[in-house]
Amino acid sequence: MIQKILNEFSVNFHFYMKLLAEHIGIIAVSISIAVVVGLWIGILISKKPKLANYIISVVNIVYTIPSIALLGFLISLTGIGNTTAIIALTIYGLLPIVRSTYVGITTIDPSIIEASQAMGSKELQILYKIKLPLAFPVIFSSIRNMVIMTVALAGIASFVGAGGLGVAIYRGITTNNEMLILVGSIIIALLALVLDGILGIFEKLVLSHKLKKIGYKRFTAVIVAVIVGLTTILVTQKSSKDTIEIASKPTSESYILAEIAGELIMNETDLDVNITHGIGGGTANIHPAIEKGEFDIYPEYTGTSWQIVLKKDENYTNDKFETLNKAYEESYGLTWRGLLGFNNTYSLGIRKELADQYNIETFSDLAQFANQFTFGAEYDFFEREDGYKALMDAYKLNFKKVRDMDNGLKYQALFDGKLDVMTVFTTDGQLSDSRIKILRDDKEFYPKYIAGFVIRKDIIKKYPELEEVFKKLENSISEMDMAEMNYRVEIGKESPRDVAISFLKDKGLWRDKDE
Amino acid sequence: MNKIIEYDSITKSYNGKVILEDFSLDIMEGDFLCIVGTSGSGKTTLMKMINGLIVPEKGNIFIGGRNIKDENLISLRRKIGYAIQGNSLFPHMTVFENISYVPKLEGKKEEELSEIVNETMKLVGLPDDIKEKYPSQLSGGQQQRVGIARAYANNPKILLMDEPFGAVDSITRFHLQEDLRSIHEKTKCTIIFITHDIYEAFKMGIHILVMNNGKIEQYGRKEEVFKYPKTDFVKNLIAMAKLS
Repeated sequence: MIQKILNEFSVNFHFYMKLLAEHIGIIAVSISIAVVVGLWIGILISKKPKLANYIISVVNIVYTIPSIALLGFLISLTGIGNTTAIIALTIYGLLPIVRSTYVGITTIDPSIIEASQAMGSKELQILYKIKLPLAFPVIFSSIRNMVIMTVALAGIASFVGAGGLGVAIYRGITTNNEMLILVGSIIIALLALVLDGILGIFEKLVLSHKLKKIGYKRFTAVIVAVIVGLTTILVTQKSSKDTIEIASKPTSESYILAEIAGELIMNETDLDVNITHGIGGGTANIHPAIEKGEFDIYPEYTGTSWQIVLKKDENYTNDKFETLNKAYEESYGLTWRGLLGFNNTYSLGIRKELADQYNIETFSDLAQFANQFTFGAEYDFFEREDGYKALMDAYKLNFKKVRDMDNGLKYQALFDGKLDVMTVFTTDGQLSDSRIKILRDDKEFYPKYIAGFVIRKDIIKKYPELEEVFKKLENSISEMDMAEMNYRVEIGKESPRDVAISFLKDKGLWRDKDE
Repeated sequence: MNKIIEYDSITKSYNGKVILEDFSLDIMEGDFLCIVGTSGSGKTTLMKMINGLIVPEKGNIFIGGRNIKDENLISLRRKIGYAIQGNSLFPHMTVFENISYVPKLEGKKEEELSEIVNETMKLVGLPDDIKEKYPSQLSGGQQQRVGIARAYANNPKILLMDEPFGAVDSITRFHLQEDLRSIHEKTKCTIIFITHDIYEAFKMGIHILVMNNGKIEQYGRKEEVFKYPKTDFVKNLIAMAKLS
């Protein structure tokens, strides 16, 4: 196990180091703002007890908002990316600082403050020379806690497309790769421990008055320099101009498609590509971001756009593509390119031996023998409006037995004979297994979810060479191809990028550059 | 002798309760005035009005003939030493930093500060080797001496002391009292000294002011107060002093 972790870390060393740098950058900015603003608010309310009660209750309430909810809410205001993450982390960081500053200052022996006042200190002098140093132990211990919390919380920030080690974790979750999750988490934990250690040493130095000898000014200067440095790294990171920004949804398939597009663009053109993987909320959040120009390209499904973006009630069918694309071009400045040819939709899978035995090819064929089979689906299939009941009615299906079953266990249950028929996605990785057969939805009960790429029109105008790239990708992937690639990522634990490149090579789309 | 502090028809109340009403008093330059009285008699309020920590509702206070309403309180306070009961030393500062606090606010240079600290420490009888120590590392008596040294460091004309020896044992207190008297003789600084211990008041003071419920029971030279107590309240106090 440890060997595996070390191996994963050393193989992808640069990947993790880049994420670590981003992580540190994001938390450094958030923590600095939270400390400065938190101290300021805490100092302000320490003189106004009535206002203090009010402000502290407000921050308390904000603190109880679940982080995912806050991030999701912020997306609608500040979009996707580091800024949103920093705002959320800063908001969470504020509370402990405000409260501890308030408590730290108001619990100082009033006779000490009065003495300093009586000796002719000005307000600011009382603050810097007396109040803050005396409140330091209380304030600093809350800063320590806040830093640890922020390091951990920043892991969730990749949900809104921010960088940092959460990218590894999130990618691991969506592609079923526990090594990524483990290594990402371990680095976060180590970072938290190291920072806590450094802060502990700092605290000791201050409390034992040793830092006084080093000089606070010199020390502050170093801290400020480090933070400014990290911030500039973070800010300048994405400023290179000829970079195409690609986004992906939090699914293995979307990761692979984004990598295929990215790798082919870099292979065919002089453009650089930056991929932000696994934007939480998928279409609902990527669509507004690409409209604003935060991204240039992302892999999408026609049926999804039809329902979520255009908000149409009727099912999407292939003849509606012109309508869909026209709406995109006219309303959003976006266009569809590179329809890959495969359809990722609900379907039914049956154990291969049964299909052969009864000669079943389509949903309608299945209806004749359904009363001899056990049917399985995940829990929510029975709840959805377009789920179990609708399907049964459409094809007049009537199974012998119906079981609900966790998505991850479905395939094994089918191979073990506990299920005979079950719901599948047409590109599920495990469909590449020969023991299962997909049936054809001959009445087109399910909408078509044809995969392709949504691209900003501006970017095609600016880089016409992209047309050629996406033309090459048209009809290049079958359902079985996609299922196999998903299998390689989810079960074979290969990285989406490696799978993408080997796909391009197999299809003869990859040009070896002599460099 | 000149008047250094004048209270002119002062009125002060807290939450509707009148503490001082139409109170007037003159304090002479170079005096060692001990204010005695029960708690709540208004003695601390009187003292804190001198450096503007408490502002009267009515009336005026003059220092050196000038109304403190027209003065810059910050620079006024730096010229008035302040030492109070218990440990009001700054716990995060060394003895050196505590004593040099006001001169440093005044912008004095490092060398001057050292000189001031050395002199003041000698004046109050503190050993040289505790300069870099923190208040928590000192004995109770040493802490009080540092408090006095800090109050003296900027060469004040007036020194305000609110039960400065209230928290130390009787032997230490005896030495502190002796030393404060000799410091007063050396510096000729005007000292306003609040105590609830009548014995201490008679030992230390030149003048004695006896306060009760915001009113002056008696104000005069201590010999006079001792021999001719004006009211029953003062008589009782003196009877107690004789017992102790």
